[in-house]
Amino acid sequence: MLRVENTLFTVVMLAYFAAMILYFVFIAVKKDGLAKAAMLLQAGGLLLHTAALVCRGVGAGRLPLTNQYEFATAFAWGLSLVSLVFVVRFRFPVLGAFAAPVVFLVIGYAAMQSREVRELMPALRSNWLGFHVSTAIIAYGAFGVSFVLGIIFLLRERMAAGGFLDHHIPGREKLDMIAYRSVSLGLLFLTFTILTGAIWAERAWGSYWSWDPKETWSLVTWIIYANYLHLRIRKGWAGRAAAIFAVAGFVCVLFTYVGVNTLLPGVHSYA
Amino acid sequence: MSSLKRVWKFISSMKFAILLLAVLSLACAAGSFVTQGQTYEWYARQTSERTAALILALGLDDAFHSAWFLVITGFLCLNLLLCNVLRLPPLIRRTAAAGAPPRTLNAPFDARVDALSDPESLFGKLRMPAPKRSTDDMGREVLFASKHRAGLWGAWVCHLGILLLILGFALGQATREQYTVYGVPGDVRPIGDTGYMLVIDDFRIGLRADDTVEQYTADITVYDMNADGAPSRSATISVNNPATLYGMKFFQNSTGWAATVRVLKSGEEIQREVVCAGDYLTVKDNADLVVCLNAFYPDYVFTPGVGPSTASGKLDNPAYLYSVYYQERMLGMNALMEGEELTIDDYTVTFSDPQSYTLIQVKRDRFTWLALAGGLIVLAGLALALYAPTARVWAIRDANGAWTAFGACPKGGALFRERFQRAAQAKEDTTDASS
Ligand code: HEM
Repeated sequence: MLRVENTLFTVVMLAYFAAMILYFVFIAVKKDGLAKAAMLLQAGGLLLHTAALVCRGVGAGRLPLTNQYEFATAFAWGLSLVSLVFVVRFRFPVLGAFAAPVVFLVIGYAAMQSREVRELMPALRSNWLGFHVSTAIIAYGAFGVSFVLGIIFLLRERMAAGGFLDHHIPGREKLDMIAYRSVSLGLLFLTFTILTGAIWAERAWGSYWSWDPKETWSLVTWIIYANYLHLRIRKGWAGRAAAIFAVAGFVCVLFTYVGVNTLLPGVHSYA
Repeated sequence: MSSLKRVWKFISSMKFAILLLAVLSLACAAGSFVTQGQTYEWYARQTSERTAALILALGLDDAFHSAWFLVITGFLCLNLLLCNVLRLPPLIRRTAAAGAPPRTLNAPFDARVDALSDPESLFGKLRMPAPKRSTDDMGREVLFASKHRAGLWGAWVCHLGILLLILGFALGQATREQYTVYGVPGDVRPIGDTGYMLVIDDFRIGLRADDTVEQYTADITVYDMNADGAPSRSATISVNNPATLYGMKFFQNSTGWAATVRVLKSGEEIQREVVCAGDYLTVKDNADLVVCLNAFYPDYVFTPGVGPSTASGKLDNPAYLYSVYYQERMLGMNALMEGEELTIDDYTVTFSDPQSYTLIQVKRDRFTWLALAGGLIVLAGLALALYAPTARVWAIRDANGAWTAFGACPKGGALFRERFQRAAQAKEDTTDASS
């Protein structure tokens, strides 16, 4: 099973890479048919990616979401899933083109991690941990998409009107609304993540909140996105300021994910 | 406006909320960068004396309980409370109003289409409930439907949840009791000053085939010494499976090594006790003499430059790291292998029979449920605010029999307008095709 997963993982990386190139070519040669091909390729990659995660789970005999490699590949899966859903739902292939490099970077990061299957220490053997991490994947995926949308928003302001990209990117207001939808998805799931994490910590260590750096940073991230929602309501702040917040929010997500483990001490450092 | 009124208005405003949330996130970030709960010496060693002094002066060594952190949180609570109280009456009015067609001709709307022939299918396409028919003041026929009126309450519910969550957390922190009990099977230990006794009946470490730890399990019995006849209750606890006895929660927290320490005087045994690593033993007939079992290494290796460590978890080469104190002055520190002896004047000390001890955390937090309820309410509020956008659609028939349809969905923005236009368009296209 794990050998199959290994092969699948390589194929998935290639598929995402090819999809990314196709998206780029679509923008370069301005042919809509290429966008469709890129989306199909990404969808195929996503399907194989799902199969790879299932193989890993079966091979390891548990939810494959417990070490750096597993979380990184699942993070890439969440990003790929949410971006594809948004691309299809809002008929917005340019989003796919901007999201693909991020997906590829994350799965590339996964490829650099050790793939060894290790047994779990007792504190990690909990169903709450399963909920905790799976909701985090969707939240991170959604925030990744808002980050990409924020970048597109900021770039759009500098773009010449009437061009191919201008034509294929929704207007300011709609773009801001789509970003709002992805932040909403992310914030709802991040709330789930923090709640299930707190319940798990209470059962494992007897304390549902102990200001461990990872907990603290997930709270910082949560507050930033809550603030994003309030800013958007105020006149004149939707749009540019919200886009900057969406970008900054994802930087915090990444810091919570990698920075905290490497730079700050805490109970999460084994994760 | 008087300045008092201006202050009041600011304190209850969303502008203040945005400011507070920004400051709070910065405060949390600052707290996470400084290792919490250390001494001046520790910070001075890690950074510099100036930085250490600054950390202590700013209270960054205990940031999340510092005065400024509490002040920010307090203002946030005040702000939230005022905001929710002040917005309650208009919210009730808005909810009632959203259930009926607008009374004025110039009611605000987000989308509009004219000259519709079959408005009812528009409601269907927008996935609105079946519209109600009525007649307005001017005698015109009106169709109206609304959905997700509860969505108007999302932010309010979310804010309420945050207040309850903070309240539950703060009350829990203020009144929480917390004790640590550790020992080996057979030990009887008091649980702080609660008047309860904890007996460790058994402690097992479940290993997998590859010798990694699968689970730590302890059987415990708690005696209520406050009551006559000391009634008892028993439970089995393991990591991730705590038990609640007498309103206290028992957690299998961690484990460590313990060893039997024997003290002989002139060859005769005068003392024999099980001592956990890190604990001290005061020699029975000489209170000035104290032996500490600093650490135990089941498979001892000594690497120059690194120091002692263990090669595995197996008892292949057990070694005991001890230190000896006389009148609180350390006489020495060394490692003894199994069977070796330590001699101090007349006394001989030996270490043997290494075994695992269990560390059990005992907690009593009467407000966890409140924090949990707050968290669930926040979740419900968010779901309402973000996934149940209140929408109203109405259509008015003019004298010529043509319908004009309006849609209002403030949270839907451009996406709602687009959906509305598309639904209206699709309708007209099919009408064109059939005519
Ligand atoms: C951690 C703290 C807070 C969180 C998580 C939070 C969450 C939310 C959410 C989810 C919304 C709905 C946004 C949307 O629909 O797009 C909202 C709206 C709002 N919040 Fe907060 N909020 C917080 C603190 C505050 C505070 C302290 C105030 C004090 C004035 C406040 C005032 C408002 C107002 C006035 C609205 C607009 C309500 C509406 O659209 O009906 N919020 N908040």
